[in-house]
Amino acid sequence: MPASLKTLGSLVVRYRLLVMLAGVLVFGGFTQDDFLTLTTFQSILDRAAVVGFLALGLTPILIAGQIDLSIGSVMSLAAYAAIALQPELGSLPAAFAGLGVGMLAGAINAVIVVGFKVTSLVATLATLLIGASLALLISNGQPVSSADPMFGLALTNEFLTVLSPRSALFIAAALVMFVWLKATPSGRNLYAVGSSMPAAISAGINVNGYVAGIFVLSGFCAGAAGVLQALSAATGSPLAGSALLIPAITAVVIGGTRLEGGRGSSLATLGGVVALGALTTLSEYNGIPSYTQAVYTGLILILLITLDRIAGGNGGKTTRTLRSAAVKQA
Amino acid sequence: MTEDAGHGMALQMRAISKSFPGVKALHAVDLAVRKGEVHAIVGENGAGKSTLMKILAGVYDPDEGSIEVMGNPVGTLSPREARDLGIGMIYQELNLVPDLTVAENISLGAMPQRGPFVDYRGLAARARAVLAELDADIDVGTRVGDLSLSQQQLVEIAKVVSRNPSIVVFDEPTSSLGEKETRILFNVIGRMRQSGIAILYISHRLQEVMEIGDRVTVLRDGRNIETRDVAGITPDEMVRLMVGRELTEMFPKLDLAIGEPVLSVSALRRAHQFEDVTLDVRAGEIVGLAGLVGSGRTEVARAIFGLDPAEGGEIRVRGKTVRIRSAREGVAAGIALVPEDRKREGIVPDLPVRENFTLPLIGKITRFFLVLAGRERSTVQQLADRLNLNPPRIERPIGTFSGGNQQKVVLGKWLLAKPAVLILDEPTRGVDVGAKADIHRIIGEFAESGGAVLMISSELPELLAVCDRIFVLHEGGLVAEIPRAAATEESVMRAATGQVDA
Amino acid sequence: MTLQTSEPGARPAAPAAFSAGSLLSMLSIPLAIVALMVLGSFVSPSFLTARNLINILNAYSAVGLAAIGSTFVAVCGGLADLSIPANVAMGALVALGAQSLVGPVPAALLGILVASLGGLINGVLIGYVRINPIIVTLGSGFLLLGLAQLLVGGGIVYAEPSAFGSFVAGNLLGVPVSVWIFFIVALLLHVVLSRTPFGRWNFAVGGNYEASAASAVPVRFTKATAFVLTGLLSGMCGVLIALSLGQARPIIGAGYEFVAITAVVIGGTSLFGGRGSILRTVGGVIILALISNLIVLIGWPTPATGLATGSILLVVVAIDAYLRRRTGTQ
Repeated sequence: MPASLKTLGSLVVRYRLLVMLAGVLVFGGFTQDDFLTLTTFQSILDRAAVVGFLALGLTPILIAGQIDLSIGSVMSLAAYAAIALQPELGSLPAAFAGLGVGMLAGAINAVIVVGFKVTSLVATLATLLIGASLALLISNGQPVSSADPMFGLALTNEFLTVLSPRSALFIAAALVMFVWLKATPSGRNLYAVGSSMPAAISAGINVNGYVAGIFVLSGFCAGAAGVLQALSAATGSPLAGSALLIPAITAVVIGGTRLEGGRGSSLATLGGVVALGALTTLSEYNGIPSYTQAVYTGLILILLITLDRIAGGNGGKTTRTLRSAAVKQA
Repeated sequence: MTEDAGHGMALQMRAISKSFPGVKALHAVDLAVRKGEVHAIVGENGAGKSTLMKILAGVYDPDEGSIEVMGNPVGTLSPREARDLGIGMIYQELNLVPDLTVAENISLGAMPQRGPFVDYRGLAARARAVLAELDADIDVGTRVGDLSLSQQQLVEIAKVVSRNPSIVVFDEPTSSLGEKETRILFNVIGRMRQSGIAILYISHRLQEVMEIGDRVTVLRDGRNIETRDVAGITPDEMVRLMVGRELTEMFPKLDLAIGEPVLSVSALRRAHQFEDVTLDVRAGEIVGLAGLVGSGRTEVARAIFGLDPAEGGEIRVRGKTVRIRSAREGVAAGIALVPEDRKREGIVPDLPVRENFTLPLIGKITRFFLVLAGRERSTVQQLADRLNLNPPRIERPIGTFSGGNQQKVVLGKWLLAKPAVLILDEPTRGVDVGAKADIHRIIGEFAESGGAVLMISSELPELLAVCDRIFVLHEGGLVAEIPRAAATEESVMRAATGQVDA
Repeated sequence: MTLQTSEPGARPAAPAAFSAGSLLSMLSIPLAIVALMVLGSFVSPSFLTARNLINILNAYSAVGLAAIGSTFVAVCGGLADLSIPANVAMGALVALGAQSLVGPVPAALLGILVASLGGLINGVLIGYVRINPIIVTLGSGFLLLGLAQLLVGGGIVYAEPSAFGSFVAGNLLGVPVSVWIFFIVALLLHVVLSRTPFGRWNFAVGGNYEASAASAVPVRFTKATAFVLTGLLSGMCGVLIALSLGQARPIIGAGYEFVAITAVVIGGTSLFGGRGSILRTVGGVIILALISNLIVLIGWPTPATGLATGSILLVVVAIDAYLRRRTGTQ
């Protein structure tokens, strides 16, 4: 491959977030009259909040070298619970119950991965299946309408011009997570867990605790996604999250977090979520059906991962080659 | 450090015994190490060295016996408790986090804090202080994954030393280091010794033991055979104690008729790895490839074989030019490579020995696409006997065999392929003395039958003993070709460090 | 990604455990099948009739083909192919959709071909570009399913009556053709996996990729081919179902990837690679078929099957992980 093409390629990969955002904005600006407006931006952020929470929950998981495929199913369960329980518990408690469902699911994942030592890939594949089936069983395959539709309506209102309560929550969560990951010992320890688990163990880090914790966190975030979505739509659907796993993963990957562990950032995920959200909104403005969107979302995911692999390559290993910059002995 | 109640004795292990299902690993082993002493531990694989050290590290509990650290008796230890008591372990496989910085690694698990946040300035200062103590010049903000192996080892040492240990155990620290880096390590060990740390040094490299050790303990079959001052022992005696027999022909050298060039390599190059490498190996010849770590030896070997193909230059086998872009083409050209890292690239642990032996040429023992099981079995059994495989069970998964036996299988696998050229990368690393002799015997037999051998080894005595010629690489370039008569440790080392006569 | 200290140089060597364990695992499949049949006979008098048993097998023959492909994928260390539903759908839709253009038999072959191309995409990305198989197959499945839906505009495709179609949907010597096909393919591929160099390569690649590469095994080709094979078999699966039902829609293969994986795992093949056999997978398929029939007979709703499947998957993998740790390999 000619050198210039290769450098261009690696630049695109490094700055893919900006490239994608710019691309969508430029394309949208040209094809739609009212695309580049604050209203659109607010709408993008608002819609992105749901997938955003899923992606946020996924970020520490990937940093720690694990994966959670069950987030879609957990979201469905939480969405259903938050609405179905409204008559019995009241609207606000029902919402918290939804969050609780998410955390419970996360705890179950934690037990399987940490307690029974099953790989997170296989474990969450199983809980994905179990969760999806459970949601269908409990709901008899039917979505449930909210007994209190006005409760969640405010979530998508305007808030601070460009935000909505939903997206404000999402951005706040992303910021808190960023500070946690970059500036606290527990955040740094998480990177250690994902980058070299044996080293983390021998440094006395309670690896099991961390892994368990991030699964509960992921479950909580999936629960939050479900609750927010259900309240805004005033409907609890057992299929709420079933199609959102790939977009969530794609958003994280667009942001630049690696799948191998040890690296990642919640701000990057935030960026990826916004970029993907912009693309989705643009597609909907153009009336593109969801299955066509699936085609290019899948394409973007595969493309980015491929480019990451080709351009990035090395994880944490030292190259034993000759003129490595670091081999400078005194 | 722990309070000293031991009158200068940092460590006393008394009558330590340990059994595992089916094998007694340690029989009433005594070990005493003084403060500020470098105490070497030598022994064949399976002699009990690593079991003893794991007991010290708290990974295993002894069945019998007692341990005193700085005079204070300690009960059964967990790894955490061992660390708190001042016992530090530095294993061959370094325990660092590649994606964090040097400073973060050194204080991992105990980072200085300001409120809930990490105190980054304090973190960096702490790291710099420890590294200065060890006279190591590394930027604390570098990502550890970007450092060289030797620098990573220094960071690991710094990490251990920063916890103020009274005892530090080094397990085969120089097996991946070259000469220059070993100097640096010995310098650091010297500093540690000066500050009163008791150092346990496990190594196969007896010359190093002679150089750095104050006293040495020889283990054999789980027993402490002898503990002596290094000044009063020689490597030969150490070997004799380790194996219980005289090994005068450790490296048998047959006097063979050398024939035509089998392998000729000219102007071989690979960007950032090596350049303009020209060498040849003749039939019946054993040619050595020497150099410091990072000089490109393994890279050259892998390029000739095809695992990491060269980008320029020519390779000729038996006079015919061949293009080698993959391991398959290498094999087709008659070249074989026994790789450096046995566990990673040598064996498939779950597969039986038989299938490991036939892996490269399984495509050839077939009829109508089906494997001929009977022929496979008989061929392999013969080979296993010839190699002295112990136990000679070819259906057992290879992962259950010792390192030396595994290496024999890797070697045998390639002999089965009947190559013209056999390239060996550290063929006796991590191999016990008995297996070592077997391996050298087989190499000799291969050369005798007209094969050509290219051998990479960081053990100079080994190279000097068996090679007819030695090529020396320095920073990716070939700097010397030394015939047997002129080959000495100094002449090879001088070339390896770049000081070549015009 | 297990939570263990790495122990340099540990040499456990318990060959006795191997033979006891493998004896147990060899017997456990027949035992389970017998146990299930006994259970079934208690639940319903018509369970143990030849008619019923053949029906059960018939229902699972198509997905059994996908399970066979998944066996290769598991053995070579490719973990799992989550794009099976997409390739099943492609095979089915093309086989029916192209009938009017090229005739039933060529259409069926075309369907298999298209699905194989899907498998080729997976194979290239996983085998040659070396990307995580789960993410690749998730992404490609998402993409291809969207493509399938795009092709039919979200509707149903009907089969044209044909001799070929009736043959495939009918019986031969009292046994459905689907069942014949399943067993013949299983036998053929069993021979391939256990007695050919290609089969040996799969075990080697799954057992130690690097060592296999260093032993001149065509590692990338082997891994890629396992996925192409799975795509092909998924296509066959889709064709079979489409012709048997007389119709096809994009959702036709939903859930098949889980059935396939569970059958593989129940049969005793490890998802982590290096061990396994087709015969075991056949046993797993039979067990799953019996279980699902039991569930129907007992009267539980359909999603319960997904629940049962997921739970069994979890339990078996947990046991596999535990056993692997005991013999020191993981």
